[in-house]
Amino acid sequence: MVSCRSFEDVKELIVFEDVSYSYAPGRYAIEHINLSIEKGEVVAILGENGAGKTTLIKHINGLLKPQHGSVIVSGMNTKDTTVATLARYVGLVFQNPDHQLFAETVEKELMFALINFNFQKEEIPRRVEWALKEFGLIEYKDRPPFLLSGGERKRLALASVLCYDPQIVILDEPTTGQDYRQKLHLASLIKKLNSEGKTVVVVTHDIEFAADFIPRAVIMSKGRIIADGKSEELLTNRELLMSASLLPPQLVELSWDLALNPPTIHFDEVVSSVKKLLGGKKS
Amino acid sequence: MKAFSFEYKRGTTIIHKLDPRSKFIYTILFTALTVYFVNPLILFLVFLSSVPMVIIAGIGKRWLRSIRGSLFFIAFIFIFNLVGNFWTTGSIADAIIMSISMSLRFIALISIFSAFFLTTSPEDLTQSMVQLKIPYDYALTFNMAMRFVPTLSREAQIIMDAQRSRGLELEKGNIFQRVKNYIPVLIPLIISSFRRAELVADAMESRAFGANKRRTSLYVLTMDRRDLLFISCSLAAFLAILSLKIMLGIQ
Repeated sequence: MVSCRSFEDVKELIVFEDVSYSYAPGRYAIEHINLSIEKGEVVAILGENGAGKTTLIKHINGLLKPQHGSVIVSGMNTKDTTVATLARYVGLVFQNPDHQLFAETVEKELMFALINFNFQKEEIPRRVEWALKEFGLIEYKDRPPFLLSGGERKRLALASVLCYDPQIVILDEPTTGQDYRQKLHLASLIKKLNSEGKTVVVVTHDIEFAADFIPRAVIMSKGRIIADGKSEELLTNRELLMSASLLPPQLVELSWDLALNPPTIHFDEVVSSVKKLLGGKKS
Repeated sequence: MKAFSFEYKRGTTIIHKLDPRSKFIYTILFTALTVYFVNPLILFLVFLSSVPMVIIAGIGKRWLRSIRGSLFFIAFIFIFNLVGNFWTTGSIADAIIMSISMSLRFIALISIFSAFFLTTSPEDLTQSMVQLKIPYDYALTFNMAMRFVPTLSREAQIIMDAQRSRGLELEKGNIFQRVKNYIPVLIPLIISSFRRAELVADAMESRAFGANKRRTSLYVLTMDRRDLLFISCSLAAFLAILSLKIMLGIQ
């Protein structure tokens, strides 16, 4: 039988043990993945197109089952657990909202997952209300989702997953097509989810977003994890970023150009270093 | 879904190099035979006619996949005919023969069309339709429809994944419930197809599609001796099978 411990006593919430998966024989989409994410962490998964990021996260809610190795989520082996069971704990928001919006109205779209997961009748309107407010969609309540703008559809897709309060939230490229204000909103949302004890995994190639808001980075290249650690350490490592075909964040590039030692992803540190440099010249 | 995509891959065999029009003549002639006959032996012969093409073209694997992919439909056709014919004729032997014929007819059609589409590039097909005086708009529409089948099937998979991530269980409930389960998959699929169609139309118009009534072609297809040989063989086989009807009175 599936051993299912409660969320409180599992520290390592997501564990990949030597996981490999291939869509076509002879070529692995992900290979020998070892990864452990603890409860309450916020992690960015970075890498170029085709690095295997999306394949990796599809293993967390069981859409893909590992062909080799195992994935344990909250003590459940994903091989023995249905997607519907895992999805209750793991909210996965897909990159393109057009791949999931289908209901007649925004309100009904939000109710879809709640009904699938058998939420109680009294509970549903309360959660829908919360999501409408949280994501600034209240005025669109009765509109068809297809008539919303691109950014609004993206927010609705996010809301339609977060409204059922999953313990693990996975966002696939949440910043594409969002303006800077929406990115800030997203960052504060991630912070808020995290303060509620949720675990957040963000798949992105928006390296600026990861550098600014996400403390842990996992860098993938050609189906493998090539680095895993603090964002401020990994995103200032020139060789590492080169080998993953990632552009460094602008602040890091500036620190390199100014020969700051050590280079940094923090705005404040760059500013104080620059001030010191300027001050040094004057005196 | 994948089975019916008939995805073309480049090849260098004689079959690949034939003019699409020659292969089209074969396809039409033998499709007519499958519709004309109900005798299982004849239908089997029609099916066999496509096998040499498949072997010479070296597309055995994908051809088998097409047929394997249609097994569900074949089973459906078989059972449906078995029950239906037993109901009307009352003879189990007749019903079984009829069911075999109908299944064979379907297999023969799948095989013939696989042999055609797996060895004919979409561009050549469009060009041959144009040279057959079919208006370019229609030829292109057909070409693009074929081109987007794999795209659509990939997209359907992504949508299914997205909805399952929100707790949708496609396999849950009785048959009516199961059909209903697919609504959250079909609606995004249809809507995104419309969105894409509009995008493609805009992209084509911005590259001056339809600006000139008379199009010229960079490549023109020509028939050579191989084509004449292929057409003659097809025609001979077609007449031979047809003559069985006249000489032996096989239905």
